[in-house]
Amino acid sequence: MIDYVLPIVLPVICGVMLLVLGVPQKRSNLLLLVSVAMTAVLGIDVLLLTKVSGVRLNLFELTHNVAISFALDRIGTIFYVLILVVWCLVMIFSFEYMKHEQNEKRYYGFFFIVLGVLTGLCFAGNLITFYAFFELLTLTSMPLVLHNQSHEAVMAGLKYLFYSFAGAYLALLGLYFLFQYGNTLDFTAGGVLNEQMAAQHQPLLLVLALLMILGFGVKAGMFPMHAWLPTAHPVAPAPASAFLSAIIVKAGVLALIRVVYYIFGVSFLRGTWVQTTWMILALLTVFMGSMLAYREKILKKRLAYSTVSQVSYILFGLSLMEPVAFSGAIYHVIAHGLIKSTLFLCAGAIIYQTGKIRVEELNGIGKQMPVTIWCYTIASLGLIGIPPTSGFISKWYLASGALNSGNPVFAWLGPVILLISALLTAGYLLPITMHGFFPGEAFDYKAMKKAEPCKKMVIPLLILTALSVISGVFTSPLLAQLQMIADTIF
Amino acid sequence: MEFVQNFPAFSIMLCLFAGIVSSVLKKNAAKWLNTILIIVVGAMSVAVLYYTASMNTVYVYQMGRFSAPWGNELRIGCLEAGTALFFCIIMLLSLLGGRTHLEEDVESSRHNLYYVLINLLLSSLLALVYTNDLFTAYVFVEINTIAACGLIMVRQNGRTIEAAIRYMIMSLLGSGMLLLGICMLYDLTGHLLMSNIHEQVLSIVAEGTYKVPLLVAIAIISVGLAIKSALFPFHAWLPDAYGYSTVSSAAILSSLVSKGYIFLLIKIIYRVLGFEVFHDSGIINVFFIFGLCGMIFGSFSAIRENDIKRMISFSSVAQIGYIYMGFGLGTKEAMIASIYHIFAHAVCKSLLFIASSGLTDVSNRSRHFVDLTGAAYRNKIAGVGFTVGALSMVGIPLFPGFISKLLFAQASILNHGKMLPALIVLAISTILNAIYFLKTVIRIYTPVENGRNLTITFRQQRLFGVTLLLFIVFSLALGSCSQPIVDLIRQGLESEIISSIPNTIHQLAQSLMI
Repeated sequence: MIDYVLPIVLPVICGVMLLVLGVPQKRSNLLLLVSVAMTAVLGIDVLLLTKVSGVRLNLFELTHNVAISFALDRIGTIFYVLILVVWCLVMIFSFEYMKHEQNEKRYYGFFFIVLGVLTGLCFAGNLITFYAFFELLTLTSMPLVLHNQSHEAVMAGLKYLFYSFAGAYLALLGLYFLFQYGNTLDFTAGGVLNEQMAAQHQPLLLVLALLMILGFGVKAGMFPMHAWLPTAHPVAPAPASAFLSAIIVKAGVLALIRVVYYIFGVSFLRGTWVQTTWMILALLTVFMGSMLAYREKILKKRLAYSTVSQVSYILFGLSLMEPVAFSGAIYHVIAHGLIKSTLFLCAGAIIYQTGKIRVEELNGIGKQMPVTIWCYTIASLGLIGIPPTSGFISKWYLASGALNSGNPVFAWLGPVILLISALLTAGYLLPITMHGFFPGEAFDYKAMKKAEPCKKMVIPLLILTALSVISGVFTSPLLAQLQMIADTIF
Repeated sequence: MEFVQNFPAFSIMLCLFAGIVSSVLKKNAAKWLNTILIIVVGAMSVAVLYYTASMNTVYVYQMGRFSAPWGNELRIGCLEAGTALFFCIIMLLSLLGGRTHLEEDVESSRHNLYYVLINLLLSSLLALVYTNDLFTAYVFVEINTIAACGLIMVRQNGRTIEAAIRYMIMSLLGSGMLLLGICMLYDLTGHLLMSNIHEQVLSIVAEGTYKVPLLVAIAIISVGLAIKSALFPFHAWLPDAYGYSTVSSAAILSSLVSKGYIFLLIKIIYRVLGFEVFHDSGIINVFFIFGLCGMIFGSFSAIRENDIKRMISFSSVAQIGYIYMGFGLGTKEAMIASIYHIFAHAVCKSLLFIASSGLTDVSNRSRHFVDLTGAAYRNKIAGVGFTVGALSMVGIPLFPGFISKLLFAQASILNHGKMLPALIVLAISTILNAIYFLKTVIRIYTPVENGRNLTITFRQQRLFGVTLLLFIVFSLALGSCSQPIVDLIRQGLESEIISSIPNTIHQLAQSLMI
């Protein structure tokens, strides 16, 4: 019991303590406190992760057929490790970045709580538990969006809240029905539907599946409910935007994996109109997100639109319901998680050092902050999909999965749209590098000052960049894991 | 007959006598008498609950041993005992939480009168819960109305007097219709005891005579009680009555008084008419539609509101809509969901009222949203309490609101015709709830710079703080350990249905008496 409950409860307790206890007089004391708590949390999490057995734990019965239960499987572990890595690095980055923001204590407090909730999400063993943590995630991540409490931030927070609740309710609607039509709500590879009932009520169940996909898709920023994402992510402080964009949207992806592969089951959904609709929506989002990012002039917003587009790569991979594409999708979860956090942290470093937020102001930025912009460039190349970065591997698998799928239209349409979108990605990410390093003749070199951020900001950036490259070079252990997952669910 | 079986009658009588005695007591004596009374009644309800639930029995208690059809009877099962206990807990907590406000809102010479009203209110609520006699029910409905008017008016300013008069007019209209309905039923059946009426109603329906009079009787009883419990189109009196009265009164009125009438309606549906007769009358469709409308329009009015207490009051309209929607679904599962929602809503709504009073205290007594900005930092425990209540209203898992929504949804899936409208309106209403409650939560947690407003710490308001903590613990317990409560409700409802074979129960009662 302790290996499941402690990693969830400990960060929440740390966070609540941070929120409730008085503010230390000196900022360094607060940071010391936070880093001690962080080390403790990470240490215990890693220790318990090596020991966790994967046995199901029913914590208590909510009502007679609904239990709060936990079980950690391979897919949960992959998400969990990614979350821990990104969380830890983003926290370290925040130590410096948050110097110029108000209410630091509250920020760290909620960052801890969000980690606890995300842990619960990865550990959840049935749909009810998952749903409970999903709702909590919305609520606990909202203070990160609201952080600077300007009018804009509050409106963005409300928008985030209402989209998320609308989505969660669509999902809940499906959940109500699944009580009737499922044998159990425990996550089971291959689905839990009662075959006889499923055969009788196929149209209804398909509608429900679509509603749940749309509902959970809100968190992943899928069209038509994506509008909150480019509003909410950029208003948060940059490290929080990084975490929101890299990790919290993945909660929606995890939700869709759970619903499609562990509740409805591939065999029930494959070849139905629901799959087609989902593929169309995902591809539409990929294309639209890239286009909007291309037009956007504010760097953080551009990155947020890019998230909309890139997460739908993952969703497209999932919607193909094909083992190779599935591996590609999960690979892209990791790749995008690492890369997007790098990009947002770079944007944060630029804001912190120069205060510039618009793309056209960034002329010559590469001369001022070479290390940061190199990290930005390498990460961008990863997101575009240039070997040897992780983005290349994931897109390769996504495209070959699409070609394997045997679907007459999407087998070619998918890769084409992915390619076009990759070009657009290059189009919206690389100009910053180009104008950054080659500012042109009009640039005034004399007025330029060196503005490289301090080590606390640069080191997380370097680690994340390195990870995004390494995960593209040493691929076989992860691919072997993904193969094993795919074997169970297909 | 075991001694514990006398407790329900004792508790009603005790409350009535305490009411009379309080009128000549001093302020503090009346306060303590009232507190002890509620605790004693609660303890007796626990004993009765334990007795009925462990024996799995239902018994009829004849007042003064006058036998049916002339005598007056109480009928006690675990649902009744549980409801009585629940009402006591909420009433006690609401009074504790509003005590400091009472000092300010009411002249000190009138405090004993306030407790007279509270005692009478408690007696009438208990009587509505326990009685097996329609006319007794009517009498206590009137006592309840008068006491409730007094509770609104005890804080004397223009708005409360206007609100009380509005409440009085609407409420008397409701009681009048109830009385008319009871008269018609008496005319049709010749009885006033619920079990006897039920017997006759069944035979009337079987013969197929008096169709229209029976339908009219059912309709006006239902509408009468719907007016009194503020179902959607009849809710105009509610926001003023709850919004301007002193905070204990608001909490008690919203969480108990309207629920007492709803409980009476449930008894009438099950024990007087019989569920099938009520189901076939078509009234449930009216309830269903009005319930759905209430869920939507109540929330819309709440969104438009700029005054926190009136907003909470309008949210009551929406929540009462949920309960009536459950009636309208017309299945036992839905009825269980409705009863659970009565409990869930009562806890959360009184919590919200009490917590909001703590928030307005630190905002220059202003109830407007603009002034409440940052109030949760100035009165921390009130902020937490309000947040818990709000999250429950929105239906976040582990809070009672989520469980009742889950129960409603599961019930509506079993009813194919009404499934879609019910689920869709549940969805819309959830989102609307989220809009106004979470907007308020964000507002009270938005810090402000100016230090004009005072800050209240836990130490300065121990009683208030402890009360809120108890409320929070109680609502979390209700939300996370819902299964025993749902089982209890189910057991109670089943015994209501079994007892609709009246003869056997009377024989059982006779054997128990001897």
